[in-house]
Amino acid sequence: TLRLICTTTAVQRKNVGASGPEKYTEAFIKKQIEEFNLGRRHLANMMGEDPETFTQEDIDRAIAYLFPSGLFDKQARPLMKHPTEVFPEQRKIQWGEDGRPFHFLFYTGKQSYYSLMHETYEKLLNVQKHQDQLIAEDLPLQKEKRNLAGSRWLTKIELEEMLLEKVSDDDYSRFIQLLQKLVALPCADIEEKYIQKFSKEVPVQMQKVVIEPLQHDERGVAFSTGEGTRKTARATAVVYDNGTGKITVNGIDILHYFPVLQDREQLLFPFQFLGRIGKHDMVCTVSGGGRSAQAGAIRLASAKALRSFVTEKEVEFMRQAGLLTVDPRVKERKKPGQEGPRRKFTWKKR
Amino acid sequence: RIMPVRWSRYNPSYLEPEVKKESYQKPLEELTEEEREQMELKAVRPIKAAPPSLSSSVFSDPMISKFTNMMMKSGNKVLARSLMSQTLEAIKRKQLEKYHKAPENEKETIECNPYVIFHQALKNCQPIIGLSNITRGGKTYQVPVPLTDNRKRFLAMKWLITECRENKHRRTMMPEKLSQELLLAFNNEGPVIKKKHVLHKMAEANRAYAHFRWW
Repeated sequence: TLRLICTTTAVQRKNVGASGPEKYTEAFIKKQIEEFNLGRRHLANMMGEDPETFTQEDIDRAIAYLFPSGLFDKQARPLMKHPTEVFPEQRKIQWGEDGRPFHFLFYTGKQSYYSLMHETYEKLLNVQKHQDQLIAEDLPLQKEKRNLAGSRWLTKIELEEMLLEKVSDDDYSRFIQLLQKLVALPCADIEEKYIQKFSKEVPVQMQKVVIEPLQHDERGVAFSTGEGTRKTARATAVVYDNGTGKITVNGIDILHYFPVLQDREQLLFPFQFLGRIGKHDMVCTVSGGGRSAQAGAIRLASAKALRSFVTEKEVEFMRQAGLLTVDPRVKERKKPGQEGPRRKFTWKKR
Repeated sequence: RIMPVRWSRYNPSYLEPEVKKESYQKPLEELTEEEREQMELKAVRPIKAAPPSLSSSVFSDPMISKFTNMMMKSGNKVLARSLMSQTLEAIKRKQLEKYHKAPENEKETIECNPYVIFHQALKNCQPIIGLSNITRGGKTYQVPVPLTDNRKRFLAMKWLITECRENKHRRTMMPEKLSQELLLAFNNEGPVIKKKHVLHKMAEANRAYAHFRWW
């Protein structure tokens, strides 16, 4: 199974809804809601404000005022929230008083999952029927392509929250395959609303980085700075314009500081990619890490500095060449009970 | 199905970087449908950082770097890289010797570019079909199986390196041995080509078990 090391907040929430049948009855939740509303009005009266227009923020402020707490954990302090936020949504009991289940697929064990699959397949058949009708009437099929690049499917955990029951990896991948099949058909626009329930927008805005303008030296030479990291090495680079292509690291020429060809190749990589080898001068400072890590850090720093000298299109090309991303690979920690990060101790039979 | 072999520090949505300068200078009209979709996807998704062995200069070749990594022992990339460059130099010297000794009409047929020789030699060493062990009813059979491109390249490189390390005289240097092997492979002679032919013959001999394969 996939083990996600780099996770988004959507993945980190534990899904309480699917853990089992409900622990709180509906009547209990209703009572909690009534008590909450009464308490809200009492609180508003105590604070001397209007009970009708008492919002959640006012409640939080009032509670923080009336019950000051010095605890560090925010979730341990006194809390007054609407019961639907406090008691997570859980499946109601699926059978009536005579013991008969409500849903016809109850005895499959995964009733919501199978009913979802049936629904999606029904939509697929609808689309195919519509397509056949269009072909029979010799009308052209609509070929508007959905923008696949900007959206992603729901993750397994989000699907579990939607269905309020556990979904296994196999089931999840089958569902995604079915959705992709549905989307691949040309007349899938009919079921656009249904598909949108299962797709989410990926924010494109996160890639907008502000490019700093060029600064000018006392002699009038334009320059710009950039910082880069790799493993444990930290580097800062200052790239000057109108140069001859000299590169100095910590006051030493690169030929003496990096005797290995691979490191010097890495330093020149951004310049060679943009075709500006003889045009810029560079002065960098670097500390920490090893030989290759320092070279990678300076490469990132110089690429970031070069962004100010270059058009937006070329910045996009640099990003697609992998010059502007910070390399997240670091040394894996050693685990207890093993000799190294992966190597286990020698297995002895006795 | 989602079946990765190793973990990765990157989110699965990160895409591989494209380092070659030429692919960014193509005008929009020349691209095919798939390439256009790829471009759109790249514009939205984040991209992994380029590894230190990859560079956009003319001198970096992915096959050569893969071969250098396979030759490397205990992480000594400096030594492996120097051995590789000495090998290419040795190939160039031998070919130049041959070139100057050859008569006029044969001078054009002699290939002097060591990179071309390396690629051609690797291609000649790649097996087309491989054998895999399948256990049926207690007995293990060697079943002929088609190989993927990656596997072919890996086998060719592995055979070359093991051949050079084991079956030569102890005192000869690695660049010498490797250049000799590569030139022989370029001309479709030599022990590595023989090994490839032996594998093909075994596969042909075990043709009867080909139906055991289920993938």
